[in-house]
Amino acid sequence: MSKRLLGVLLAALALTLGVAACGSSSSDSSSSGSGGGASSPLVGAGSTLVAPLMSKWQSDFASKSEITVTYGAIGSGGGIDQITSRTVDFGASDAPLTEEQFEEANAQGEVEQIPWALSGTVPAYNVSGAPKNLKLSGEVLAGIFLGEITSWDDPAIAKLNPGASLPSTKITPVYRSDGSGDTYAFTNYLSSVSPAFKSKVGVSTQVKFPTGVGAEKNDGVAAAIGQTDGAIGYVGLAYAVSSELNMPLVENSAGEFPEPGVESVEAAAAAVSKIGPNNEISLAELPASAKGAYPISTYTYVIVPLETEKAEEMKKFITYAITEGQSYGPELDFAPLPKQVVAAGKKAITKIGS
Amino acid sequence: MEAGALSNPVLRARRNLTDRIGDPLLRGLSGLAAALAVAVIVGIVYEVIHLAWPAIQRFGIGFLTTNDWNPNPLVQRFGAAPFLYGTVVTSLIAILFAAPLSIAISIYLTELAPERVRRPVATLVDMLAAIPTVILGLWGILVLGPFMRDTIEPALNSVLGFVPIFGGDPSAFGYLTAAVILTIMATPIITSVTREVFETVPGDLKEASYALGATRWEMVRQVVLPYSRPGIVGATILGLGRAIGEAIAVAQVIGGAYLINASLFHTGGTLAAQIASQFQNSAGLQKASLAYLGLILLVFAVIVNVIARVIVQRGGIKDIDVTETEAAAL
Repeated sequence: MSKRLLGVLLAALALTLGVAACGSSSSDSSSSGSGGGASSPLVGAGSTLVAPLMSKWQSDFASKSEITVTYGAIGSGGGIDQITSRTVDFGASDAPLTEEQFEEANAQGEVEQIPWALSGTVPAYNVSGAPKNLKLSGEVLAGIFLGEITSWDDPAIAKLNPGASLPSTKITPVYRSDGSGDTYAFTNYLSSVSPAFKSKVGVSTQVKFPTGVGAEKNDGVAAAIGQTDGAIGYVGLAYAVSSELNMPLVENSAGEFPEPGVESVEAAAAAVSKIGPNNEISLAELPASAKGAYPISTYTYVIVPLETEKAEEMKKFITYAITEGQSYGPELDFAPLPKQVVAAGKKAITKIGS
Repeated sequence: MEAGALSNPVLRARRNLTDRIGDPLLRGLSGLAAALAVAVIVGIVYEVIHLAWPAIQRFGIGFLTTNDWNPNPLVQRFGAAPFLYGTVVTSLIAILFAAPLSIAISIYLTELAPERVRRPVATLVDMLAAIPTVILGLWGILVLGPFMRDTIEPALNSVLGFVPIFGGDPSAFGYLTAAVILTIMATPIITSVTREVFETVPGDLKEASYALGATRWEMVRQVVLPYSRPGIVGATILGLGRAIGEAIAVAQVIGGAYLINASLFHTGGTLAAQIASQFQNSAGLQKASLAYLGLILLVFAVIVNVIARVIVQRGGIKDIDVTETEAAAL
């Protein structure tokens, strides 16, 4: 009896080890790659924000270069995780890597990030009895998401909307409970206008909001807003444009209230010429001279290791993405990259594989 | 006996090849299947602990009581308390509703309903379990949530508002909405098992009870329920397991807050829902912390299972005593 039990356990142990061995050997073989051939496929993972643009790129790039690109839209955090462990050829993230993340990713050889798409994040609200296109400022939005402004007839909102009839409905902030580039863009913007928001909540694809309701994905947020009188949340530009959500106009540093859209996002990107170390660009602090610039715009990045056996393919693909590939942007509500960013990207690409 | 037959050289020679390898083959294959099941469990536990290791090292056992979940890369402070609390509260409420409801449905279906009603009703209850959880969650967002916020929660609040768990503003998203969704999920599971159990109650016992002048209610109370007690407990635990482990639908309606909130109307989180909504898009310490939540969920499930086994075993023995004493008294 006990002998038989021992036998089963031993067999189990052998199987476990076998499975573990299979697991490690398969990841080894994938990281060493097939190499050599001129058209080995590229595998990437990460940002969901860039996914619609990516699917255009995949088909177009495959027909032009005979290089296939496989992309898993698993979220920015997942993309960073996978490129850090080198289980993919490139990662994509809506937030630039933090210093710590760079350190971890560089442990297996240096990586670099290149901005390759440009979009915006749009607040949306549902308040019965309130006018369409309410005007809001960054300070007011920060106050709302910090739980300091709690009703729609708050003097701060009334001041921005003189003459508008505002109900006393309680404000319910709605945020993304999963990680999202929109959360990054939104918190980056609110942190730049409100020191209190920066210290209490901070900037990330996932943060802890002190109040409100969390919902999953853009459609979850839209549903939560639609179902709750007094709700305000934020969604991606492409999603906002195609939905029937009521969008407030957000004040920019020039004191204007531009409509969210490809043109205003483009104007924001054109106003910022400073490209930080690691090609990091923040569009949260726009100069007062930036006319018509949409205040909650954001870049999304590709992350590539400099040492890779697929250097040629990788270079071709990123070059394609930041040049030709940009032409597919506007129809999907992505703004084209400004010239100086394309130039910086091209310079960064030369480092791959050298 | 088999061995004896085989040891006879004449009989042995008459057997063809398939007959001779049949026995060892059966033993080998079934042993392998058993080993595979054990290997899968061992492998999963190993993998979860391995994945959670950085978080276990960083936060230790204090992870269980830390009432915070802050994924901001500059803070990175994680704790399981909000989700442990949410899991316990939502699944307990769900079972509190689902168990009596399911027992009532089963009694109706096995003892009271006319024959032509039983089948269709039983099938419909079973079909509740076939609704994809995502659809149920969507229904939770669009229909149940607003109904809870506008009708149920204000009513609870006006009568029982002095109790902290019924205080606070009504909300479409929160613990209570999630608990109702879980009730709907657990009910068909508990019902189908209790129904089966009630059907195994021997007709003799029921007849005897009626013969002694018991009313239908007395018969159910004195014969069906005591006889089925271990089965009812088992079914309830099965439903509880479902409620504890459900991720998607809960994530859709609970509102994803990262703190313990006293009010049942308030948004919160559960272990499974938190893992489902954040794991894909996580890296580093957050990923490890989510795996740590998974480990806690695993341990939680094992504990519930063990408790169920203990109750079923004890209950079984006690039942015999009870029926015997009752029989003696009668």
